[in-house]
Amino acid sequence: MKNTKTELRYFTIADWKEEEAYLRRRHQEGWRFERVSLPGIYHFVRCTPEDVVYQLDYNPEGLSDREGYLQLFRDCGWEHLQDLVGYSYFRKPAAAMQGGEEEIFGDDASRREMFRRVLRHRLPPLILLFFVAVLPNFFLFAQEPVIRLLFGLLGVVYLVLFFRFLLCWRRLRGD
Amino acid sequence: MDPHLKKVYVPMTETAFYILLCLRRENHGYGILQQTEKMTGGEIRLSPGTLYGSLSKMEKDGLIAFVREEEKRRLYRLTALGEELLALEKKRIARLYRNMQEAN
Repeated sequence: MKNTKTELRYFTIADWKEEEAYLRRRHQEGWRFERVSLPGIYHFVRCTPEDVVYQLDYNPEGLSDREGYLQLFRDCGWEHLQDLVGYSYFRKPAAAMQGGEEEIFGDDASRREMFRRVLRHRLPPLILLFFVAVLPNFFLFAQEPVIRLLFGLLGVVYLVLFFRFLLCWRRLRGD
Repeated sequence: MDPHLKKVYVPMTETAFYILLCLRRENHGYGILQQTEKMTGGEIRLSPGTLYGSLSKMEKDGLIAFVREEEKRRLYRLTALGEELLALEKKRIARLYRNMQEAN
């Protein structure tokens, strides 16, 4: 029986809640998260099934005071796993939590603030890429059917991303 | 005082209020968490993401200032601006409390 496995999963930069739920589910099934590498390869190691809560923070500014940032999470019992494209991965066993339920964000104000950090850092490059690279090339090569198909696909990716952000924003405003 | 800051911080979140209250004396993030827990009889336990985010934002806005580092933990203290905003918020809460009592 193999003791490690890898899975390919793609979560957009607005899907961290789904990603957290996915990692928690795997741990409950007896697969402990080891690391993730781009473009979405998740490495797991077999373990005793346990309810462990996974949480993602997006705080590239925290990197300027990395030790202090990680120390605060350590003090609160959160194990730091890795950083990837601005996101930091943490986990904590539910059994170690007060009342069995804990999150790294305690109120909606700070959840919205994290969402704002993601938007502020990730949206401008995407929009810039769209206007500088995608659009001009589309007009240059639009007569080629293959290129048209490619751009259609890219358009779908952008649309999906847009709706994920919208959904995320509504969820944060709603709860 | 910058009217924008006043709009952002008055009224403030419970987290922000306890952070400012604790930082009348120099303290670090985890110290604020412990002190808040003690002050509220364990009812309010601040989360690290919330705490770190608030501290960075307050430092940027000039409400608190970095003092020194102690065993990897950054110690902060309230600035004059922070004290001013805390006083405004206290006044607001006192009014709230007074009106609540009178309504009974």
